[in-house]
Amino acid sequence: MHTTTVRSPRAFGPARKSFIRRNLPYLLIAPSVVMLLALIAYPLLFALRSSFYFWNLQIGPEPLQFVGFENYVQAFNAFDFRAALTNTLILSILGTALEFIFGLAIALILLKALPGMNIVRALLILPTTIAPIVVGFLFRYLYDPGGGLLSWVLQSFWLPVPAEGILGSPSTALAAILFVDIWQWTPFFAIVLYASLLAVPDEILEAARLDRASAWTILMRIKLPLIKRTAIIIVMLRFMQIFNTFDTVLVLTRGGPGTSTRTLGYSLYEQGLVNFNIGLVSAMTWITVLIVNVIVALYVFFAFRNEEW
Amino acid sequence: MTIDIGNMSRRDLLKSASVAALVAGAGSLAVPRRGAAQDANTVRVLSVEDPFFFSMKALVPEYEKETGIKVELESLSYDALQSRLVSAFVAKTSDADVIVVDQMWLGQYLDNGWIISLNDFIAKDNEFDLSDFIPEVLYSSNMWRGQVGTLPVAAYAQGVMYRKDVFDELGIAAPPTETSEDWTWTKYVDTLKSMEGKSFGGKPLFPTVVCGSQPSPIVHMFTQVSASHGANWFKSFPAAPWDFSPQLTSPAWIKSVEVYRQLYKLSPPEAINYVWFDAGTRFAKGDIGMFYWWTPYFYLIKNSGYMTGKKSDVVEKYATAALPKAEGVPQTVSLGGWSLGIPSSSERQEAGYAFIKWATSKATQKKMALWPDLNYQFSDFARVSLYQDEEVKAIYPYLDVQYAMMKQGNGKVTRPPVPGYTAVESVLGLTLNQLLTGNEEPKTGLERANSLFESILKGNLMIPYQRDSYSDSLDGAKALIAKK
Repeated sequence: MHTTTVRSPRAFGPARKSFIRRNLPYLLIAPSVVMLLALIAYPLLFALRSSFYFWNLQIGPEPLQFVGFENYVQAFNAFDFRAALTNTLILSILGTALEFIFGLAIALILLKALPGMNIVRALLILPTTIAPIVVGFLFRYLYDPGGGLLSWVLQSFWLPVPAEGILGSPSTALAAILFVDIWQWTPFFAIVLYASLLAVPDEILEAARLDRASAWTILMRIKLPLIKRTAIIIVMLRFMQIFNTFDTVLVLTRGGPGTSTRTLGYSLYEQGLVNFNIGLVSAMTWITVLIVNVIVALYVFFAFRNEEW
Repeated sequence: MTIDIGNMSRRDLLKSASVAALVAGAGSLAVPRRGAAQDANTVRVLSVEDPFFFSMKALVPEYEKETGIKVELESLSYDALQSRLVSAFVAKTSDADVIVVDQMWLGQYLDNGWIISLNDFIAKDNEFDLSDFIPEVLYSSNMWRGQVGTLPVAAYAQGVMYRKDVFDELGIAAPPTETSEDWTWTKYVDTLKSMEGKSFGGKPLFPTVVCGSQPSPIVHMFTQVSASHGANWFKSFPAAPWDFSPQLTSPAWIKSVEVYRQLYKLSPPEAINYVWFDAGTRFAKGDIGMFYWWTPYFYLIKNSGYMTGKKSDVVEKYATAALPKAEGVPQTVSLGGWSLGIPSSSERQEAGYAFIKWATSKATQKKMALWPDLNYQFSDFARVSLYQDEEVKAIYPYLDVQYAMMKQGNGKVTRPPVPGYTAVESVLGLTLNQLLTGNEEPKTGLERANSLFESILKGNLMIPYQRDSYSDSLDGAKALIAKK
């Protein structure tokens, strides 16, 4: 039977109160959910839909026709996209690993009560505060074969510098971009890991020392396990950040020479904002999203499988 | 029907939130297409930051004083400008009343209806005289399907710059200032080779410098060589019927790559990463014998760096010359540069036209040329009369050479301004960059590029071409100009 409930004015107040009380958690998170859906889900779904259409703003302002998986096929067939994927994986994996190792080493040094450490800690954070585009210009001058500081230092140590410059040779250009990333973001690891290491209880460390545990054993058996959760999170964050490397590539090499420094971020920029091929760039975006998410999902699964949250 | 909100499940809540988000998203697309009402006495101009911008900006207060119209002038880098323009066009927002348009964007902008044709404005304007403009410039940079889409504010050709003192000391004959059958790319390379391994002033000398960075910079420089050799991008364009089947495997392209490779070998090796101004101002450092590039560098090399305004070491030591040509092929000079157009979304198109008319006028262009800051840096005229102006020629002594290059120009052949141009340019730029550094045969690289061109052009519905063709020729353009 179809019924309509009519509440008396007296009953309306308590009923509303009860509704708010019952649903308060949902009401509180509702704005965030709406924002997340609008800002993340909607663009992603929009890109997914666009990826199945031929849509190039140079040819016309609207999508012209449904092309199925043609954009995905085109993305994988483009040799520069494959090179970009390889370069991005190299940069992301090596960059994250090296930045973590160097950052941890610096963090351990920072724990020592050496003179001048306060200044070092303050200076350490500086590179991370500089915009990547500025860092790019800075290193463009440092790498300049005609008197750039880094080229000069390498030559001073009898290390070979390619005639076309560090950024001009396919054999060194990607390493040069990796170096820039390491220079800028190792301090981030150092500061975060330092903060985590400070939280390791002194009593545990003291006990280990009394048991004559070596510094290496203390690091591997006590310090690292205790900061593991923080380490896992920042490694994941940096991996995802490096995966999107774009600014430094644009300023330093524009993806060249050849495809040697092309990254997925740069390819997306070129297809989207230079060539305006919305269909193709949407397909490339989704390929990138899937790759990053698969890697991160595997990483999270293996990193957290023995953890309780 | 009743909805008991109090019993709404989490799933229902999420569903509602999703719908709300989608509605919000759709709502954002449905906001009024045009921007808020503008001040009637304001004209907004969006420009690129090339040299002309600075002298034009210097004169804007004068325009404001004369007309009582306030000019909001904004400048962006090359890539940022196109991104901003296309975003605004797609959103159909009124981002500006006057925009600066690069030569290659014209077909795309007009075909998509993003900018309006200026034909009606020009037809109604009794004061306006098209005939002072160089026909080759209007044809290359401003005309599309018989319409004048834009008017040129800075027109560029390409030409040769060389060190007189180096040539004198090494006993090398100066290159000619006029095109001739004797001044070929072969001769150009031979002249460069005579400087190979030499020193000058106690420093090693590089015979030349090229632009190697992909995609646009290398294409801009390379296509002068390919245009000289008669290389066509497409099977039939600009002559009708348009057929965009790529032609990159022709002998003219292969020969052009071979020439460009030779030029790179005679350049500083780091030129592989040089963008426009890196190559253009490298000459100002004093260790380059001769090079060719866009004509704005005829004055920019007077500076110690791009836009520094400080005199370079070569300021009294260089001269300009004609571009070499290929044996037995009529010369085609690359023409490019910047023009002003009116977005169809602008609500102040009349004001926009008035600004364009002012900025491209003979009087304003002359004042821009005589603006002394930054070491005098504007001689990119599209008007014939300014190449004959003695006052201007006294500051820019190379104008005869520049004008001669302009008269041989054809931007439609050199870098075709067709919709989809940047997509194929990115492939060509990457291929050329790879061919400079690797050992791959030009034929192999070009075959790969040709195949990618074909795939892109088919994917972009350019092969087979689905719109109407237009028989576009310089003579046709001249006839249209003569009508006004």
